[in-house]
Amino acid sequence: MTRLFLTAALLMGGVASAATFNIYPYQGAKLLAGQRFDLRIEAEGVKGAGDATVTLDGQALSGLTRTTTKPDSVEWMLRDQNLSTGTHELTVSFTDENGPASKSVRWYATPPVTGKAKNVILFIGDGMGWNTVEAAQLIAHPYNPESGLPTGKLEMMSGLSSMASVTTSSFDSALADSANTASSIATGQKILVNALNVYPDNTEDTLDNPRIETITEILRRSTGKSIGIVSDAFGTDATPAAFAAHTRRRGDYSAIADQYFQGGVKPDVLLIGGSRDFIPSTAPGSRRKDGTDWITQSQTLGYGFVSNRTELLAAGGDKLFGLFNIDNIPSYLDRAQYKGEETVKNFPDMPYLWDSTRKAIETLDKNPNGFFLMVESGMIDKYEHPLDWQRAVWNIMEMDKAVAYAKEYAKTHPDTLVLVTADHAHSISTYGGYDASQGPGKREAVGVYQDAGFPTYAQKDANGIPTPDSPRTYAVGFAAVPDYCETYLGRKVFLDPTVSNGKTGAEAGYLPNPKICEEGAVLRVGNLPPSSNQGVHTADPVPLFAFGAGAENFFGTMDQTELFFGIARALGVDATKNK
Amino acid sequence: MNRRTLIRALTLVPLSDWLARAGAAAAPATLKFGELYGRVTVRGVEYSDRIKALTGQSIQMTGYMAPPLKPKLDFFVLTREPMSTCPFCTTAADWPADIVLVIMPPGRELEPTTRGLNVTGRLEIGVKRDAETGFVSLVRLYASTVSNKA
Repeated sequence: MTRLFLTAALLMGGVASAATFNIYPYQGAKLLAGQRFDLRIEAEGVKGAGDATVTLDGQALSGLTRTTTKPDSVEWMLRDQNLSTGTHELTVSFTDENGPASKSVRWYATPPVTGKAKNVILFIGDGMGWNTVEAAQLIAHPYNPESGLPTGKLEMMSGLSSMASVTTSSFDSALADSANTASSIATGQKILVNALNVYPDNTEDTLDNPRIETITEILRRSTGKSIGIVSDAFGTDATPAAFAAHTRRRGDYSAIADQYFQGGVKPDVLLIGGSRDFIPSTAPGSRRKDGTDWITQSQTLGYGFVSNRTELLAAGGDKLFGLFNIDNIPSYLDRAQYKGEETVKNFPDMPYLWDSTRKAIETLDKNPNGFFLMVESGMIDKYEHPLDWQRAVWNIMEMDKAVAYAKEYAKTHPDTLVLVTADHAHSISTYGGYDASQGPGKREAVGVYQDAGFPTYAQKDANGIPTPDSPRTYAVGFAAVPDYCETYLGRKVFLDPTVSNGKTGAEAGYLPNPKICEEGAVLRVGNLPPSSNQGVHTADPVPLFAFGAGAENFFGTMDQTELFFGIARALGVDATKNK
Repeated sequence: MNRRTLIRALTLVPLSDWLARAGAAAAPATLKFGELYGRVTVRGVEYSDRIKALTGQSIQMTGYMAPPLKPKLDFFVLTREPMSTCPFCTTAADWPADIVLVIMPPGRELEPTTRGLNVTGRLEIGVKRDAETGFVSLVRLYASTVSNKA
């Protein structure tokens, strides 16, 4: 108290104010007992040399590395720490020429518990908010036009053991991106936008930030379980990376590729999309700056390498690495129905998400100690951004077939927990029907209330998934948009909703894509900042559907960070143990 | 900017070496975006036989100007479709595979445009990194003329 008054007196006297502190883990952080983290303390506004005392629960902490990043800052770092069960208080006291300053933070570590689940299969539909799921539900299982009664449900919505509605946010914003949201699921922490499993720091280097241990690293360290990562996005994209990598910048693609094979997780199964970050810089199309060739090196590490569906289905072995495209695996509609030359010419034999999911489970199931598998459908979000709701929603139907397989596995392996959730939402909504026979872009063809009728999608493709061409479709739109042309109908060849105005800096802006406007369209004036070229994530809650062992840990309204603790409780993780 | 001034800004004085050969040379061959690469696999892309045969020659391509990488338009990225993606603008954005870097003649710059463009220039292939932006290109056109698509 005396110190507080002293600081106040100094301030009022016009003397430079005392140092301020950033401490990570942040105030109020909740961790698992034994979960590893890097402690970082930053003193800002420092004048001259200073002395610091750092105590944890009243005991002096030693071994901290002291650095000076800026002329007026001092930092202390202590990597690879962990806490025992209960509440802890860290206090830093610092005195420099501006006088004394101190700060305390409190953390809570949850006790290890006994769990019911041996295996966890976590599905993440990227950008798959409640309304996106509902749009897929309406198309896959339309209402009966005779009565308005439902005719069925998506697999992810039926036979539930439990469910929850999940809110998402970042350490530095109420809105979120795919990196920090997947990191929250992986670590139980709030993370900066565009960051993967690290706390902030005041250095330029994006790979030196204080790290927080992920569920996959904890399982690797404390159990004999296998780890699998499956995604249809390019291989180093944020969602798969969140289960194997640490970086302040999700765009550190080469470093993320390296961390898959050199980090603390080293997944046994890695089946992902784009290969640009895994091939040497000498290969045209590579995004690397060095000669590392993970396709070759993975095989010396004991991975079986596969690059198409035929090879995937035939693969044996306990370790599997698959790359199926040079970029993202294209959307389901492009692969299964439109089959445009650009989609199939170079990659005629790409696996469906259900193929990769099944092979991953069959491979991981060989381990009697169990497994953790994350499966991402990344193209949902990739097509919500450019307001292409058909491509986005059809990818949910593809993921639903992968969920069906996982549910079947859980039935015969009752010690398995299956979770289906999203990382964040988009501003999508179904608001009517559309008379497609009138062609694109006709406002008068939109039917609302009783005029919406019962859009049906009667034609099915070879996989039993509907085709989007129906005489009466749903009218689906987005609330947060740039200026763009709305046609209400999809198109076989993807087009961006906007084009650049060709200017940079403050003058940079976007115009509706003239090619879309020419199709016949309603010009919609946007409501996003002029710098936005496409739709954005929203703060809307996302669903979580749970099946099987430990599903009771997921119920009601949850913050996304709680998913990490729910998974740890379901598995009975004891992070204080090393295997 | 009205259309006429735009075209005036776009049409360049042909380069001297181009002038020297212009009388003798036939109309430049046209290269389509779909003809840039032969096989594309997870191990990278291979150039098509056609692009290998045309390397070093003056050819013509039609496409759109991608969002600029920098204010000074002494080079720009030509894309098959008009687009808004700029990998340098957002963390998650990515270029499509089939893009061409158009390098303007020394001292010449272009006005930004959203219209389709016809570009004639000397074709060069191979992996090349731009020192200033770090931009890696696989196909380059050293432009002699750039004009609005009819």
